[in-house]
Amino acid sequence: MVDTRTMDMTTAPAMADGAPGLRGESARQSLLRLLTWLSPSFPTGGFSYSHGLEYAVEEGLVAEWRSLAGWVSALVEHGAGRTDAVLFCTIHNAVATDDAGAFDRAAEIAAVMRGTRELALESTAQGAAFLTTLRAAWPDPAREAWADRIAASGREATHAVAVALAAAAAGIALAPALAAFLHAFAANIVSAGVRLVPLGQTDGQRALAALEPVVLRCAAAAPLIPLDDIGGRAPLADWTSLRHETQYTRLFRS
Amino acid sequence: MPVSVPAPARLRVHGTAEVAFRHADGASRLAHLYQHDPLKVLFPTVPAGEPPWAVLVTTSGGMVGGDRLDVRAEVRDGAEALVTTQAAEKVYRSAEPDCLMEVALAAGPGGALEWLPQETILFDQARLRRTTRADLSGDARLMAGEMLVFGRTAMGERFRRGLARDAWEIRRDGRLVWADAQHLDGGCAAVLDDPACYGGAVATGTILCVGPGAAGLLDRARDLLDAPPDGVRAAAGIVEDILLVRWLGREARAMRGAYGAFWAGMREAFLGRPARLPRLWHV
Repeated sequence: MVDTRTMDMTTAPAMADGAPGLRGESARQSLLRLLTWLSPSFPTGGFSYSHGLEYAVEEGLVAEWRSLAGWVSALVEHGAGRTDAVLFCTIHNAVATDDAGAFDRAAEIAAVMRGTRELALESTAQGAAFLTTLRAAWPDPAREAWADRIAASGREATHAVAVALAAAAAGIALAPALAAFLHAFAANIVSAGVRLVPLGQTDGQRALAALEPVVLRCAAAAPLIPLDDIGGRAPLADWTSLRHETQYTRLFRS
Repeated sequence: MPVSVPAPARLRVHGTAEVAFRHADGASRLAHLYQHDPLKVLFPTVPAGEPPWAVLVTTSGGMVGGDRLDVRAEVRDGAEALVTTQAAEKVYRSAEPDCLMEVALAAGPGGALEWLPQETILFDQARLRRTTRADLSGDARLMAGEMLVFGRTAMGERFRRGLARDAWEIRRDGRLVWADAQHLDGGCAAVLDDPACYGGAVATGTILCVGPGAAGLLDRARDLLDAPPDGVRAAAGIVEDILLVRWLGREARAMRGAYGAFWAGMREAFLGRPARLPRLWHV
């Protein structure tokens, strides 16, 4: 009899077995994977993207930690965070229920909703790097089959789609996965803000602390938003991204 | 004691306007027309150098909850046309179902279509879902835009609550290449004021140029946007070879003026048409 608790965790099957004795352990494994996959040191190149914040700082729209927290809060709740969160839920549910049609539809919408060239780069370059790294370090044929569906359609997986399909394929529940993804999105832009404004590290953490309830609220709201209501209400963030393309001095790729 | 009086029953309207042009005998000619109240299509005499114009008129004076307007505008192989609207579209306050506007644009190989509706004004507590879909074949060109105004700003009204959904889908040879969706709902005033959301804007706009040559006009577009009026933010970029211009205005009239001036310059650069707008745009 195989004692699954001693199995190599990197090749362990998804936790869907639901064996009562393993539940706590599976949850802890899910936690570890979310911490790793959405860590700033995970090699997706996240440090090189500011989501247009670089231009917002240049324009004086963000100048200290409170305005940074406010800016990022709007991106999470009203901008790319809202759109990505709805797609994240749809992709996660599609993988979890083996619904290829719903998966293909959401992956296509994610791939073509490109607010600006630089925001599309931020999203697809990170998505590709995320899946490449997982393929090397956490091989899983079931996950690859979903990723291959996107590649076969000639589309690119966005970061949200990549994380959602990987989390679902690994048996990581939607709620913690989505909260972790939105938190990582917010933390990445806060990190860019700390470098751009610039701010002290403690002010960066103040911004993150202020963003906690926003991330939790958005993660809770997203599963209730129908795909027909997808979209953002932060056109000014898109405007800063477009203006960033011609900004004279640029540290960031978006 | 207040008495609750039910609103008078009003029939929901479902207006349709379909117009298609074809190229024949060296000119673009009307190939198909269908109109159903409250939409009508007028064909004014056009100035020299212009393709045919189709002007849409909404005879009901505006939309209320549950109303639906379907517009279909097409240029077939090699044909050219401009389709515009006679006046701003008004969407009234309603607790009823959403108002729907479905716009379908199509252009065949060698065709060039301009979709230049006037602005849509959302009264406070209006509910609008608008989708603009474009299907282009081969080397077809499309220049299309939309403007939304949040509230009757001239009388100080703000769009405090309601639904403003404005979505785009662009297909080339049947393949979806670009989509976009603005979805503002619920309590809207704080979002319109938020510095990262609308930054106090009361109007937004989008202009797209799709087809051969569009991406090469980015510098020209940026030159045209170089000195926007006070309170108007506009910026251009390229996504999927589509030239995309986004507009935000703290003052609807100023934005409309800059939007129109930009349009006039870009239609000349992209479509080789005179650098001016139909006169009804200036009324």
